Amino acid sequence: MPHSIQIKNQEFQLHPTGGIFWVEKSMLLISDVHLGKVAHFRKFGAAVPQKAIHKNFILLDEIVNAFQPFQICFLGDLFHSSLNKEWQLFENWVQKTPTEIILVAGNHDIIATEKFEALTIPLFQELSIDGFLLTHHPEERENFFNFCGHIHPAIQMQGFGRQRLKLPCFFKKRHQLILPAFGEFTGTFVLEPTKEDEVFAIVEDEVVKV
Amino acid sequence: MTRKELFHIAQNWFDRQGWKPFAFQKESWTAFLQGKHGLLNAPTGSGKTYALWFPIVLNYIKNNPDYKTKHKKGLKAIWITPLRALSQEIKQSAERITKDLDTQMTVGIRTGDTSTKERSRQKTAMPDLLITTPESLQLLLSSKGYDKVFKDCSAIVVDEWHELLGTKRGVQMELGLSRLKTICPDLRIWGISATIGNLEQAREVLLGPTSEALQNSVLVKAKLNKKITVKSIIPKQMETFPWRGHLGLHLLEDAVPIINNSKTTLLFTNTRSQCEIWFQKILEKHPEYAGELAMHHGSVNKETRIWVEQAIRNESLKAVVCTSSLDLGVDFAPVETVVQIGGPKGVARFLQRAGRSGHRPGKESIIHFLPTHAMELIEASAMQQAVKKEAVEDRIPYLNSYDVLLQYLTTLAVSDGFYPHEIYTEIKHTFCYQGITEDEWQWLLNFLVMGSQSLKTYDEYQKVEVGTDGKFKVNNRGIAMRHRFQIGTIVGDAVVAVRYQKGGYIGSIEEYFISKLTPGDVFTFAGRNLEFIRIKGMQAHVRNSNKRTNKVPSWMGGRLSFSAQMSELLRQELYTAEWEPAKQSDEIRSLAPMFAKQREESIVPKPDEFLIETFKTRDGYHHIFYPFEGRAVHEAMSSLLSYRISLLSPITCSLAFNDYGFEMLSDKPIDIQQVLDNDLFSTDYMLSDLQKSLNSNEMARRKFRDIAVISGMVFTGYPDKGIKMKHLQSSSQLLFDVFKDFEPDNLLYQQAFTETFEHQLEEGRLRMALERIAEQEIVWKQCKNPTPFSFPLITDRLREKLSNEKLADRIKRMTKILMK
Repeated sequence: MPHSIQIKNQEFQLHPTGGIFWVEKSMLLISDVHLGKVAHFRKFGAAVPQKAIHKNFILLDEIVNAFQPFQICFLGDLFHSSLNKEWQLFENWVQKTPTEIILVAGNHDIIATEKFEALTIPLFQELSIDGFLLTHHPEERENFFNFCGHIHPAIQMQGFGRQRLKLPCFFKKRHQLILPAFGEFTGTFVLEPTKEDEVFAIVEDEVVKV
Repeated sequence: MTRKELFHIAQNWFDRQGWKPFAFQKESWTAFLQGKHGLLNAPTGSGKTYALWFPIVLNYIKNNPDYKTKHKKGLKAIWITPLRALSQEIKQSAERITKDLDTQMTVGIRTGDTSTKERSRQKTAMPDLLITTPESLQLLLSSKGYDKVFKDCSAIVVDEWHELLGTKRGVQMELGLSRLKTICPDLRIWGISATIGNLEQAREVLLGPTSEALQNSVLVKAKLNKKITVKSIIPKQMETFPWRGHLGLHLLEDAVPIINNSKTTLLFTNTRSQCEIWFQKILEKHPEYAGELAMHHGSVNKETRIWVEQAIRNESLKAVVCTSSLDLGVDFAPVETVVQIGGPKGVARFLQRAGRSGHRPGKESIIHFLPTHAMELIEASAMQQAVKKEAVEDRIPYLNSYDVLLQYLTTLAVSDGFYPHEIYTEIKHTFCYQGITEDEWQWLLNFLVMGSQSLKTYDEYQKVEVGTDGKFKVNNRGIAMRHRFQIGTIVGDAVVAVRYQKGGYIGSIEEYFISKLTPGDVFTFAGRNLEFIRIKGMQAHVRNSNKRTNKVPSWMGGRLSFSAQMSELLRQELYTAEWEPAKQSDEIRSLAPMFAKQREESIVPKPDEFLIETFKTRDGYHHIFYPFEGRAVHEAMSSLLSYRISLLSPITCSLAFNDYGFEMLSDKPIDIQQVLDNDLFSTDYMLSDLQKSLNSNEMARRKFRDIAVISGMVFTGYPDKGIKMKHLQSSSQLLFDVFKDFEPDNLLYQQAFTETFEHQLEEGRLRMALERIAEQEIVWKQCKNPTPFSFPLITDRLREKLSNEKLADRIKRMTKILMK
């Protein structure tokens, strides 16, 4: 179940897979998928299960079907490594997905621009749309609200009986929202919220404000 | 030369030293020269090195009668030591023989400390006698043409075999030996072990259960009648003695007269941080010891350690605070007294430490037991019984460690390659893999070559390749290089070297500790106060500081569990609490105030009683069970019980256990009456329930960490080299989840569960414990406050977690958010 929030009078739906749907623009924001990571590990002799490769595409299909967006904007680190055979699977996925795709490049995106352009995926360093700034690394800019990734945020919670939990989350500051990593087989980094931060944790198939 | 003549040479040497060879030494010489294999059971410092170095040299003399004038080059014998710190000592004793007997034999060391220059020199000309570690032996097997290096090797001696047995390094050793048996036609295999419960099995594991070697082998026992006396330090004021804690500083002043009254005292602590703290505190309170007190633990740099060891021998030190780093090797004649601070976690270890004092044969060994909290006094009393009865623990060897086998196969593939049918026959004869099936073997080969069990066209998996002649080989240089780096990482966390800015090396610390420091922080290490400046590569730069600090690096000490016999002794001791004081031991009598406090709200259980206590603190609801069966059984029982409780109603709880009992801490009360009514301590379906319980907690997950590293699934980066391989690093946690979701039938994933099951949770003992509980009367005490018995448990921070509640439900109850 997505969780709906309002920023600058626009509606954003936070999806438990880690993507955000911008209702007014019909745009899906997804960050840090790290495609190709499994194949990269296998190429270097670490036998991560092959089936894990497909999971990312299953999740992508799931969120695209849920919102039927006009556009998908990847906020960087779409591909984990240099070109490997997972790229072909990505090509197939792009071709069968009837949606415009754009990429804001991240530090892991080292695949040649031409490769993306051949799939009609334009590349940007950043994008600004109606007072919203889309980047990979967190940015602060006056009069802009920033959507970004890179951090793979998580939150740690503590309860009675010495209980502790770590959960991936959407981490919202006053002028910024950091998306969780979308990809399977990616790690997380624990952030500490201050009073004015808002945290939306991913709890199985729900997004819960904590 | 006849054996008689050879013995004469040895006898002469002993005469010149003014010594007499022990019976066990002569026995080993004879057996060795007869070409036999064997296991020598002898404690540290008994002259065990001469028991085996001698016949090795004599055998060379026998085969080379003109040994004084001619030198036949090439490796003759390998001496394996689990601790590279001991290699220098072993080398000296070997050189003494080779020189005194006028042979031209050379002795060399090859460990992680050996310089690249020395290593490449060894490559062209191996020393005659090589001292090395299990890891370095594996590395030798990963170099090209290794079979030629080993072909004339006449002996391999595995020192401190009891330390390796029951670990994966032991498995590594088994595999190495299985290969050497084939490539060295004239090899004798010898192990040296301290006393453990399963000595016969230790020999079987070393030589292979169905091997000819075992048939043609001996077990030599050094019978050095030694009297060991245990003296407990009993607090004068029991009322103020703490119920918990692990440092024991309360009794520091009681240790001082012991130090004063003897020439040299060793104070054994259980962890390196405890060692640092004791060293600091003694000097603080008794500055007069400055210069006469030293510290020795595994993270202190090599030069300092050697200096300390030398100073003990010269009798220039009054006392040394140390850890298990002084358990092994190194003979210290002048040590007069030993103090054990806190429970020694094992009878074998306690005996070994006691044996450190009064080294000369026939002399009495005295060990003082300094308890760190009240409950340990019961342990102290039981320990005295255990020493009398020699109730020594078993070391349980591993079975079917697929991770180590995969690493080994890759090692062989990296060097000269291997033919599966050849290696299969070899490993089938090891103890660890005696039960491996052809299907499992095929699975492992597929895993190495395809990274899975079926070939997919788009897959780029690359590791081992199969040549046209069926030889398995690694052709990719990057993979070979990464593999060699990985071999050494069978144990331990990433460590960081601690250096002065100008370059002086001080020691090494777990990365985990350094990562918590910020520049400017002061911490105590190697007895110095150091200011952390920066981290660079795999090095932490520091400078001396005058600031006082209480930050001490912590290291995880191995937690051994009490054996069944020791647990029984512990219970018997506890039951004497009800006796009249005159019949009690001093320790138990001194605990009277604590027992009185315990009885205020609860009971001290009698033989037919099983105690359960429940109470609430601001931490949550505590449920404490006291089977007194030892840590391992409590771990298993708590896992089983919490699983069964969770079937009645969903719960989330954390578990803590020690040798006395276990605790379930939850944010809601557990209905103990329901537990009793539903007979949750039953042995029915015990096995399947226990298996299922593992899915809901994190034990298997933790085991998987090592498995992932050893099998080469997780790359830990290059130690000391500081080379970052970040794009290949992933956490074993992530990997565990991926396997759980996508490949639950993977043998490595499965191994995590079997290992937890067989190694951590002793199933057989659990059943017996449950049967015993079934005959006891259950006494459930609802207390208002924590009792003395419960204190060490409820304050334990290392906990096992368990939950079968919906995540969302838990979060709704979580009130505050906290970081760090």
